[in-house]
Amino acid sequence: MLEGNGAASEAMRLARIGVVSAYPVTPQSPIAEVLSDYVSQGRLDAEYVRVESEHSAMSVAIGAQLTGVRTGTATSSVGLALMFEMLGVAAGLRLPIVMPVVNRALVSPWSLWCDHQDSMSVRDSGWMQFYAEDCQEVLDLILIAYKAAEHADVLLPTMVCMDGFFLSHMSQAVMVPDQEDVDAFLPFYEAKNLKLDPSDPMFINNLTPSTEFMEMRYQQFEGFNNASGIIKETMAEFKNRFGRGYQPVEAYRCEDAEAVIISLGSMSGTVKHIVDQYREKGKKVGSIRIVCFRPFPTEDLLRIVPENAHVGVLDRSMSLGAQAGPVCMEVRSALSERRPDVRVQPYVAGLGGRDLRPVAVTTAIDQMLEGTFNPAAQWLDVNENAMTIRRYTEVA
Amino acid sequence: MKQIKMYGVGGQGVVTAAKVLCEAVAIHENGYAQAIPAYGHERRGAPVYADAIISREPIKKKGFVYEPDYVVIFDDSVMDKGIDVMAGTSDQTVFIVNTYRTREDYPFIKHKLFWVDAHSIALNTLKVDIPNTAMLGAMAGADLVGIDAVGAAIKDKFGDKGTVNLEAARTACEQIASNA
Repeated sequence: MLEGNGAASEAMRLARIGVVSAYPVTPQSPIAEVLSDYVSQGRLDAEYVRVESEHSAMSVAIGAQLTGVRTGTATSSVGLALMFEMLGVAAGLRLPIVMPVVNRALVSPWSLWCDHQDSMSVRDSGWMQFYAEDCQEVLDLILIAYKAAEHADVLLPTMVCMDGFFLSHMSQAVMVPDQEDVDAFLPFYEAKNLKLDPSDPMFINNLTPSTEFMEMRYQQFEGFNNASGIIKETMAEFKNRFGRGYQPVEAYRCEDAEAVIISLGSMSGTVKHIVDQYREKGKKVGSIRIVCFRPFPTEDLLRIVPENAHVGVLDRSMSLGAQAGPVCMEVRSALSERRPDVRVQPYVAGLGGRDLRPVAVTTAIDQMLEGTFNPAAQWLDVNENAMTIRRYTEVA
Repeated sequence: MKQIKMYGVGGQGVVTAAKVLCEAVAIHENGYAQAIPAYGHERRGAPVYADAIISREPIKKKGFVYEPDYVVIFDDSVMDKGIDVMAGTSDQTVFIVNTYRTREDYPFIKHKLFWVDAHSIALNTLKVDIPNTAMLGAMAGADLVGIDAVGAAIKDKFGDKGTVNLEAARTACEQIASNA
């Protein structure tokens, strides 16, 4: 039995990370704690660097990975925000660091609990992003992430995101593969691009003039283009070796669906459960789950969205000032030119730890089946006092 | 699929009980299970709850339990602390309560009800009032899970203290009373 955090720690141990630099933050702390235990017990042959902040955690990971070793760190929410500068450095240096991100709302209001505002706010940082649905996937996607990220044609850092508490603290039976099988899947790490090596000195992250900057950014762009196919190949290889199959985007009971909910993370499990209930009543409803948000699986999505379907996208964060949340904007962008038959309704749900209650999902599905449409985001399961709660009013 | 809601107060091992139940089902009975604790501003003595879902089939849904098939009450004082133990229940919902006697004013008195004095069992076996393993025995007594599976999961979880905790569970399983 493992919680999501435990599954992440196991995956990092199996990947033989050689340096750990993690700063504890709720709800990620058990990852930092368990990795520390592994090192002190001798179960993990790694240097554990006790850093004073997440900015330093990522800085140490970058320096260590440049010497040619897999590094381990993990974070959440404000910790990810404090890492922001160094996320770009890791990406630009093409270091395939794999980092579990335990999704938690960003301040303010202050919250310890789950939503996706943290990882979505760094979606353009040059990191790949995978979202796990359950604890087994946390372990599996981390192993897949190492393999895909380290491919010479990819070399991109990767966040493996899990919903805070709903996955990070949920206990499930998790299959933990044998070390030798993981070793065969994930060979010894070698630095493939820039490296810190006294016998082979080189410039790293020096001031880069405009004559070179765009070209280097273009290399990252190409890395993401390559990643789409390599992630699929890696998922196929993982299935051959470990028996569990994944796709960058997964369709569930979509064949003839008139209404389809697109979601990611643990929300997708609840959506599928409710889809089953609708199907039992003969209603043509399906679910699409985005496993890989960066690179975004545009071509696969175009293929699996059923014809003339009403599509609703559940965002667990909001892009304030936009019509829709970030996942919905991405879906609309992917479908806009080539799928004029499809209408995409944005929904926002499950912020700041609010569970994705069944009523949120059924409300969305019922609206879509009725044909109701509003181009602006509809907020699901919001209390009636939304506009009065804790609102400052002048006392006369 | 059985959905279970456990209510108690901080320090009673409610979250641990949910995890041990799930280990018993998922590991020792080859079923499927997930425990979903609610974390917040924990402090000893404050009401806490944990949810568990157990099933013979893979469980798709994530998140909390809203329509419990079983409600397990580790401390009936939670009802005096503003916790609505009836939330989401139906006539079919089964209650398992830590008490030495049932009370006529229990809101679930007409439901199928199991009760056991887990408080005394814990004091006698563990010498400390942590009723979670006795309540796990009660869950076995109410046929939520097999006592042998619970016993194996308790031994895994509690290490040196496995034997006394197992005794607490077995005692509660034997002493459980029911209105059925």
